Amino acid sequence: MSIEEQYRTRAKELLSGGAVKMVIGYGKGTTASRRRPLFISSPDDVERLVLDDACITNLSGYLVSEGLLSDEKRVAVFLRPEGIRAVNILAAESQLDAEQIVIFGFDVSGTEVRALKGIHVEEFSDVIGSIKEGAPEASEEELFEKIEKMSPQERFSFWQEEFAKCIKCYACRQACPMCYCRRCIVDSNQPQWVNTSSHSLGNFEWNIVRAFHLSGRCVECGNCDRACPVNIPLRLINHRMAEEVLGAFDHFAGMSKTQEPVLASFKKDDSETFIL
Amino acid sequence: MTKILFSDKLDKCVERWKSAGFTVIGPVQRANISTYAAVEHAAELEFGLILPDRSIKDLFFPQSEPMLRYTIKKESIDTDECLPPVGPRIIFGARPCDASGMAIDDPLFGWDYKDEYWFQRRNESVIVTIACTKADDFCMCTSLKMAPDSCKGSDILLRPLAGNKGWQVEELTDRGREAFKTIADLLQESSEQAAPIAVVEKKFDLDACVAWLQNPEHFESRFWKEISMRCIGCASCTYLCPTCHCFDIQDEGDTYTGIRRKNWDSCSFALFTMHTSGHNPRSTQSARWRQRIMHKFNYFPGKFSVNSCSGCGRCSRQCPVDMGITETLQEISKLSL
Ligand code: SF4
Ligand code: SF4
Ligand code: SF4
Ligand code: SF4
Ligand code: SF4
Repeated sequence: MSIEEQYRTRAKELLSGGAVKMVIGYGKGTTASRRRPLFISSPDDVERLVLDDACITNLSGYLVSEGLLSDEKRVAVFLRPEGIRAVNILAAESQLDAEQIVIFGFDVSGTEVRALKGIHVEEFSDVIGSIKEGAPEASEEELFEKIEKMSPQERFSFWQEEFAKCIKCYACRQACPMCYCRRCIVDSNQPQWVNTSSHSLGNFEWNIVRAFHLSGRCVECGNCDRACPVNIPLRLINHRMAEEVLGAFDHFAGMSKTQEPVLASFKKDDSETFIL
Repeated sequence: MTKILFSDKLDKCVERWKSAGFTVIGPVQRANISTYAAVEHAAELEFGLILPDRSIKDLFFPQSEPMLRYTIKKESIDTDECLPPVGPRIIFGARPCDASGMAIDDPLFGWDYKDEYWFQRRNESVIVTIACTKADDFCMCTSLKMAPDSCKGSDILLRPLAGNKGWQVEELTDRGREAFKTIADLLQESSEQAAPIAVVEKKFDLDACVAWLQNPEHFESRFWKEISMRCIGCASCTYLCPTCHCFDIQDEGDTYTGIRRKNWDSCSFALFTMHTSGHNPRSTQSARWRQRIMHKFNYFPGKFSVNSCSGCGRCSRQCPVDMGITETLQEISKLSL
């Protein structure tokens, strides 16, 4: 039986037994290569679930949509390893109760889809551990290396040109499971921390602020990068910040549901006296 | 015999227009994004695109624009109005859906208050549109009762000849004729045939959709929640849309001096209709998505007798969760059977 069929069967069982109230997965999209998020609440609809190498979007962000988990019922969700890491972070940051989340884990290499064993987030710690071990020091992407070799001035110009394209649509934020804030800093106006206008300064402020807020929290799922309608290579910023946090604090985001958030914790014996 | 502009003459035309004082703007591919931008030479223009990622709206209604500078003094308030610094411009190579989008928005910007920012740019721009010979899965002009060679909103319509050799020229407005006078000697009479225009299949029955939307019983339909459950509430669809026109006015600066700006805003955002009391009349994403559809296909046509959509397909092409106007109207079409 293919993994797609296995997972459909499991979804049907869970929904008919009432073990979960909803399965969040993928369905067919507009074109042959597109998949779209799909919400299944009836066991009769599980045939609409699709699982293949085109299932890329990290669906974990939907788990914190307003009111979804407030009735304490369980929800099942299709997740790649990055999505599972995101659930850990959301649990660690008290955004959800991991007990309520039933995971349909999968991973993709090439066109091959592999099931990940486990149901609850704790059961995937080996998978996540091995990603941490296997994480490349630098992104293998050519553009990343090119930017690394730039002088600070050149790098600044590169990002200036990229951020000039930003239209402040906030698709990056909306697509990101970690950007769950009820009121994002850019939407706060008392005080107004960030210019709301989409001009050079406003765009710069926005992208830098988001990069900082995601440091040590980003799971590199790529949702923001794919969502950006003007193709700013946001993945490169995320990757650079993740590397920085790994090097400085040996922190790999989303290892467990009790992992302390790296930039939101402070120890009395910290060598720094200042906390941001 | 028709008037033909051969591709190899285009660079000369660009030169000619520039020396006549026009800024020449057209589709370009830069920094991994396609958009309409000013060019110096014809070679910079990218004619191979189905349509640019960014819409032509940016040229008439930019994402952020200064309106006035202010200084508050003890006795007085000084204001200095900023009007757009445009001169005559030729937009060469617009797509029919983009050009018509501007015509769709004209009544909106000129209705109770004549928006000078919009009309100054409109009056100084000559839109030279190229009919489409290629379309993708998301193009839907025909569903909106337009076509890959629609003239709406254009001053000149060009029909491509086979083999990228050039274009048949159809002059539509005086403004277009005036601008093409400067290159009259570069055009040639020829019997060269135009390449067939793109085939864009009709995706939904627009009249049936509009009728369904106009039925007040459907305002509270469960349909809205079901269709928009995956919407993440970004502004990709509205900001790339040539006809979406909402804006917000923001003061930037301190208590004494600053600048007032007109910035794009989007009905997809939760903050869009948030009141200072905290109450939000459109408190859910489904209410916001309903607003987008109702506005485009019910309220706007109710007021201006034209749908607020030109069928460019950008909303669906770029949506991070594969939603968009197309799917919603297709589903409404089915409901109204
Ligand atoms: S910042 Fe981007 S890559 Fe990182 S978790 Fe958020 S969406 Fe995913
Ligand atoms: S950018 Fe920062 S403040 Fe805004 S939603 Fe993301 S984490 Fe929250
Ligand atoms: S998705 Fe891209 S264009 Fe939109 S706000 Fe984010 S960086 Fe800017
Ligand atoms: S329909 Fe798509 S592009 Fe539009 S707001 Fe929703 S998620 Fe964003
Ligand atoms: S609603 Fe969509 S298809 Fe219609 S004009 Fe706007 S972006 Fe184009």
